[in-house]
Amino acid sequence: MATGLDELLDSSGFIPHGACLLWRPDILMLHVASDILIGLSYFSIPVALTYFVMRRRDVAFGWVALLFALFIIACGTTHFMSVWTLWTPDYVLEGLVKVVTALASLATAAALWWLMPRLLALPSPRELEASNRALALEVATRREMETRYSSFFNNLAEALFIVRVEPDGDFAFEAINPALARATGLDPERLRGKRVGDALGPEVAEAIVPRYTQCRDRGESIDYEETLDLPVGQRVFHTMLVPVKDAAGRVIQILGSGRDVTERKRLQEEVVQTSKLATLGTLAAGMAHEMSQPLNVIRLWTENTLNRLQENLLEPARAEKALKLVIEQTDRMGKLIDHVRTFGRRDGGGMRAFHPANCVQSAVELVRHQYALEDIEIVESSDSAQLPVTGRPLELEQVILNLFSNARDAIVALRATGGKAGRIMVAVSDDPDRQSVVIQVTDDGGGIDPSVLPQIFDPFFTTKEVGKGSGLGLSIGYGIIDGMGGRIEARNVELEGGSRGVRFSITLPSQPVASSDREVSHA
Amino acid sequence: MPDPLHILIAEDEVLAAMALEDFLTFKGFRVTVAANGVEALERYARGPVHALVTDLRMPRMDGQTLIREIRERDAALPVVVMTGYLTQDSDLTHERWKPLEIFSKPVNPRTICNTLHRMLGLPQEA
Repeated sequence: MATGLDELLDSSGFIPHGACLLWRPDILMLHVASDILIGLSYFSIPVALTYFVMRRRDVAFGWVALLFALFIIACGTTHFMSVWTLWTPDYVLEGLVKVVTALASLATAAALWWLMPRLLALPSPRELEASNRALALEVATRREMETRYSSFFNNLAEALFIVRVEPDGDFAFEAINPALARATGLDPERLRGKRVGDALGPEVAEAIVPRYTQCRDRGESIDYEETLDLPVGQRVFHTMLVPVKDAAGRVIQILGSGRDVTERKRLQEEVVQTSKLATLGTLAAGMAHEMSQPLNVIRLWTENTLNRLQENLLEPARAEKALKLVIEQTDRMGKLIDHVRTFGRRDGGGMRAFHPANCVQSAVELVRHQYALEDIEIVESSDSAQLPVTGRPLELEQVILNLFSNARDAIVALRATGGKAGRIMVAVSDDPDRQSVVIQVTDDGGGIDPSVLPQIFDPFFTTKEVGKGSGLGLSIGYGIIDGMGGRIEARNVELEGGSRGVRFSITLPSQPVASSDREVSHA
Repeated sequence: MPDPLHILIAEDEVLAAMALEDFLTFKGFRVTVAANGVEALERYARGPVHALVTDLRMPRMDGQTLIREIRERDAALPVVVMTGYLTQDSDLTHERWKPLEIFSKPVNPRTICNTLHRMLGLPQEA
């Protein structure tokens, strides 16, 4: 027997459901009213849901809402079917509607359980509100910080700048602060985003790009002094560069600060010059003695020769000897005069590479004879020194002369109290490992009171009587050595034979001279 | 002819000492040269010295000490000082060191010679 859809839907063999309720109007009304109300409500819910999903496009898992809508429509339909089957026994159709409802319910239930962890993870409105409040606070704090830092950046007297390291390794200005703009005469707006070479012109760029490169490649802070030709004229800056790295440790930015030290340098140079003149003053007495010696020899030999000439007793050999002696003595005086001349000159020239052993040698020559008269011996050892250092030779010589002079004073003072002293040891040696040259000046003058040792490089600190020392010598020396990138230290030493003394050690870095350094003037 | 008078020169600058020795010998003195105060004092102790010509700055006992030592032995010995230093403030200008004359370097040997003559009571040269 073939059964078509019509046959399947044929309800002629069934009795309507109302019959089960014995067609009691009150029971019928109860079912009809309840089912219709339920059905209507169920039909309205998906409309509301769909409307919500449509309006709130950001609702997570919107498709679940649509699935839920389908499920609830199906539920509503079953209720309308219940009303329908009270009078019309279309139970097969009702069954099919229930199948659809069952599938939709099953899918919705499964989806709900499957989504549960993720639904639970969705922030609740309260949580969202809390996090919004936190964000608002953070924004406010950051704004305040930004104001504070931009106020630092904009109002600090220190010249500040930020340089970006480009992917190709070149440098571009991100920002410069007003102090820098004022000090240099550069325009912050025109500089922003520009590569250093384009922004500053080739000459200035040539001077500063190697510094930026050094900071970028080493990944370390560096500081240095530089003389720059700027729109406002030639200025000396003490500049510090600090690298900023990304997570991979690559330098992506350089923060720079600079202080205009032009005026300070000028004053420093004046103080050095003053001190040099003072040193010259103390040397004047020695010089007078040194000059009087050859003059005396010349006078005695010429008088002698003249005397013999007048008495007709002058042999040619004696005359020749006398004249040669006179020439030798004038040479000796000429050298002394040359030395005084170069020493007194204002040394405005640039820094250059030189061998410190030569400075030590000429300092020794200047005082050796004078000290020998006071029975003070200068013992030298400078055989191993080969490395060159950078600076001004005459300034280093001045420092060493000052150390000699202090050593001499210590020796004389120790003798005055009955002590035995009279040796100044000077040694110049290379330290190839650290690429530096070490100059040591050691005396046997009894040493320095350990309690004043830390102060001896302070300006105007002196242990000498009023009028005997300005208290500037060592502090100027400290400045000169510092300017050469080196350091000077003092310590008490025990010498062989039981005597004690002070050892000054000057350590100077030996490095090839960069072209940009040559013009940098140090005091 | 009487024995020549003996002059002791204390001077560490050899060339100056040589020239002065030559000049004073030429003028009829007997001259001995010492290179420092200690040597001069030793030489003085060995025989009669009629006058001392000395430098002030010398290694191993300077001129000042030498003169003090000499004055303890002979209050009347003529002393001529030759110095490369300023002499105004020197203690040596004091009366108690006399007979003593001070000359700044460079010295004129004729002046030294004439001064010795005068101090030793010899007739002045023309």
